[in-house]
Amino acid sequence: MNLTKKINAVYKKFGVKITAAEDDRSVILNGECDDWQNIVKIGKMFADKKSGKHIVNDIRLKGYEEKPPFLPAVNDKSLDGTAWDVVVIGGGISGCSVARELSKYKLKILLVEKHSDVARGASGANDGMVHAGIDLKHKCKKLYYVTRGNAMYADVCRDLGVEFERKGQYVVFSSRFIKFCGRSYLMRAKKHNIPNVSVISKKEICKAEPTVKDYAVGALKIASTGAVSPYKLTIAYAENAVQNGAAVSLNTAVLSMEHTDCEILKIFTNRGVISAECIINCAGVFADKVAQMAGDRYFSIHPRKGVDLLMDSKGKGLPDNAISLSPTFKTIKQNKNTKGGGIVKTVDGNILLGPNAREIPDREDVTTESRDVNEVFNKQLDCCPSMQRSNIIAYFAGVRAPTYEEDFIIERSAKVKNLIHVAGIQSPGLTAAPAFSVDVAEMAAELLKSRGKNVELNADFNPKRVAPVDIKSLTENELNELIKSNPDYGKMICRCEQVSLGEIKQAINNPLGVATIDGVKRRVRAGMGRCQGGFCMPNILKTIADELNADISQVQKADYGSNVVVGEIKRI
Amino acid sequence: MERYDIIIIGGGPAGLAAAIKAGKDSKVLLIEREQRLGGILKQCIHDGFGVVRFGEKLSGPEYADRFIKELSETNVQTALFSFVTDIKHTDMFYITYVCEQGVKQVTCDKLILATGCRERTRNGIFIHGDRCAGVYTAGAAQNLVNMLGVMPGRKVVILGSGDIGLIMARRLTLEGAEVVGVYEAKPTPSGLTRNIHQCLHDFNIPLYLSTTVTRVFGSNRLEKAEISQVDEKMRPISGTERLIDCDTLVLAVGLIPENELAGDLSVVLDAKTKGAAVDQNCQTLCDGIYACGNALHVNDLADYVSESGETAGEHASKPPHKRKLVNIAAKGKFLYVVPQMLDVNDDVSNVIMYFRASEDLSNQRLTVTANGREVFSKRYLKLLPPEMERIVVDFSQAGDLSNITVALEDK
Amino acid sequence: MEMVCIVCPNGCRLQVSDDNGKITVDGAKCKRGVAFAETELTCPTRSVTSSVKTTVAGYPVVSVRTDGEIPKQKIFDLIGVLSKFTLDKKVPIGTILISNVLNTGVNVITTTDME
Repeated sequence: MNLTKKINAVYKKFGVKITAAEDDRSVILNGECDDWQNIVKIGKMFADKKSGKHIVNDIRLKGYEEKPPFLPAVNDKSLDGTAWDVVVIGGGISGCSVARELSKYKLKILLVEKHSDVARGASGANDGMVHAGIDLKHKCKKLYYVTRGNAMYADVCRDLGVEFERKGQYVVFSSRFIKFCGRSYLMRAKKHNIPNVSVISKKEICKAEPTVKDYAVGALKIASTGAVSPYKLTIAYAENAVQNGAAVSLNTAVLSMEHTDCEILKIFTNRGVISAECIINCAGVFADKVAQMAGDRYFSIHPRKGVDLLMDSKGKGLPDNAISLSPTFKTIKQNKNTKGGGIVKTVDGNILLGPNAREIPDREDVTTESRDVNEVFNKQLDCCPSMQRSNIIAYFAGVRAPTYEEDFIIERSAKVKNLIHVAGIQSPGLTAAPAFSVDVAEMAAELLKSRGKNVELNADFNPKRVAPVDIKSLTENELNELIKSNPDYGKMICRCEQVSLGEIKQAINNPLGVATIDGVKRRVRAGMGRCQGGFCMPNILKTIADELNADISQVQKADYGSNVVVGEIKRI
Repeated sequence: MERYDIIIIGGGPAGLAAAIKAGKDSKVLLIEREQRLGGILKQCIHDGFGVVRFGEKLSGPEYADRFIKELSETNVQTALFSFVTDIKHTDMFYITYVCEQGVKQVTCDKLILATGCRERTRNGIFIHGDRCAGVYTAGAAQNLVNMLGVMPGRKVVILGSGDIGLIMARRLTLEGAEVVGVYEAKPTPSGLTRNIHQCLHDFNIPLYLSTTVTRVFGSNRLEKAEISQVDEKMRPISGTERLIDCDTLVLAVGLIPENELAGDLSVVLDAKTKGAAVDQNCQTLCDGIYACGNALHVNDLADYVSESGETAGEHASKPPHKRKLVNIAAKGKFLYVVPQMLDVNDDVSNVIMYFRASEDLSNQRLTVTANGREVFSKRYLKLLPPEMERIVVDFSQAGDLSNITVALEDK
Repeated sequence: MEMVCIVCPNGCRLQVSDDNGKITVDGAKCKRGVAFAETELTCPTRSVTSSVKTTVAGYPVVSVRTDGEIPKQKIFDLIGVLSKFTLDKKVPIGTILISNVLNTGVNVITTTDME
């Protein structure tokens, strides 16, 4: 279909007049519309895999003013005038894994992240499933990296000291007809080289997962599906990068760039002006904005929010496996752009439900709504009818960063010679990261070589990250020895998740220097359980202040300005 | 492996009282997860404790101190800063706990769970919006102010009119914060009437009923709370939303008995109390496992918490006997009745029963019958869900105890 | 007028009438309620609980209360006095920190055992 035809089709369907222009890389849409969902739909209508062109969707939402992005409340010159071989923009799973792979080379690497910790975006707010890739289309970058990444997971997690379980996943069939259709998955698995996929009987699935016994007629078993803590893996990647010489600057936002037609000259941040031979755009939901700063905008990110629910691990009626209902034609039609969510058992033994998918204009809107919680819970209730709503202990939203083509963009810029884009990394980007980060690091090395830089391997590179102590994983003797050497490991602070003072102190003194309540929570789970920190938060607050030798009112929940308390009593 | 007759888990008011009673004739170990005994009383520095028991208006720490002093005169051993990680129940109870000295294992014949309760959180009541700093449960806020001596914020909204919410409204006001209001989703207050008066009215703090917080806003620290009116089913009424400037939201939205350990031991819980189902001696359906205090049901006064601890401690130190349990049926507008069972093979002459009405009621008649025969009755001019009622019933003259009913009827 | 007695958790609802200084109280379960109503009408008093800062390790603050009731309008004055007070050593529970505070005849005592 040519552009004029599509423009007319848009008018017919949505009553909206838009314009569409084309250059060698993109189709650029302009106009105005009063419904964000329609804007996204229009973008999708123009997406065309065959043409190889990306969609830049500049259709404005009537009456909507884009919120200014979150910026750290810090302004200093700590980075001013520094020159780097590589600057990685964004501390999500993409940026952190890329920085770590880059640290295999002897290079001056800087990763900048605008929040006070890494994994604060979608990398920290997803269900941690390591996908097999069964539901992906053939001939896309996603499939290539997901199958490759999945196979790498056990090794990467062992090196980085991150818990990983390959427990498999069941897609449950609720009728004979669906079971019959489900066999097509086997063919697809074969075509995609996905190992260990099988159709199992009603008896087998009910034995493996009794909660589905009332409706299951069989299931697809995907044995290579795994589970990982997404933020722990991201943190581990960043820590290992730092251990191997990379620098991570948190609370650091890229504000603008100075560039020529084909090269980025300077990067302006809230902590000074920096320069780099190679810039890697891993900015997630802001990847198109960063591209624009470099004069290289040829794709659009449309933010897609997903909400996950965390269930009390001691709750009754919960499943013990990752399960999802096999989609019916109806649900496929309804949810084109999501796998429809499912039930996941995390490495910490919790059950996560979700996510749903909601197209939103605001890239940083991680608020939750009751309709999201209801939608996710009710949907998964179909899959596991014995779950109880009262066992929901927390819920969170993450904003995924898809392009209109719904595929990853992992390539050197065709226009800006010192820029690499790692964009459109949405689910299952977590699964893909171990694989694409290797390629991106090689791409960067080639780029640097092409600019005359001598790129050598880092002889001191150590792939092993020393994992922090987790007393729950120790034997009684090991724990006794540890407590003998440091009694703090015998002082339990977080009772719901059983976290000792020793572990909390270790988390406060992490290699990235993140000493916040949320930083501790994500590193050692203190405050993540059923009381949600009601009991332990004051203790952790005090411990952070003591460890930093700081005033207690300086301790932050997360970013600057999120002080937990405002000062001493009898002072205000 | 050190062997005890009785091990008590939890050194708050229930565990302390249980330990003092049990320690008279038995070898007892009291395990407390914090550095000091007293449980939540340590941070409840307001007064009003011990009015029933001591006839004095003590503060929480003083009330606890009376028991701690009394305990120090017994032979009860205490393990402080000790956290139970595992309990196995075979021929005995095998308990593993972690402390500064390492991993310890002890055994006992009887186990008393005095693990208290925890607070419902923002997630438990589905407050949506931003994940900013400044949203705390009342207990956490109380800890910050009374233990650490720091202020959670300057301009405070309190959600929930339970006693701890009211107490914190006064406490934060006295320390210089502005409490803009206490909001309660229910049509009636959840706390004791006297606390409405001395904590709110005394300081001109407004109380808004049938109103709740539906959403919070704030990029880093809380900036605004959205307040909505709710209908009779406590669902927010759309169109009634308004925004209130505040930097702190304190949640006093209910307590839940803490029963992780009971759950691990497969102790049967009562869906209404969320605590174990017990007989008149606080013994659960599992022989040898007792539950008392707020782990059993959420009490309104520490005095009653201590009382159930004493009941459990005293009975646990008696030799075991074969129980014959009869269900106590509750008919009428009860929130709950404790105990849920009567051991008719044991002393039934002095059975302490606690109950709460499920709604505000006036002119009620409570009757306790055994096989249709009335053994106890009492009239109530007023019954309010926040105010727990206590009666003592003598079943010893009732004859046939096969069918026991507690009923609440209009007079 | 109606009043709620705050002496004990019963929270009796009192019907109080003041007939030219002759006060009658109905609804009190005990005589403390009558006394409460009388003072509440003439000079309302409250006992106050709070805390004072300390320089003792492990005790950023220590809890205190008045050992009797002070006039209601002096509550914030009392808080002012307490905010200027710092305890510099461990003391047993019940120690008088300030005697006859604000000339009320009431003492401020500690309510936490610091041992």
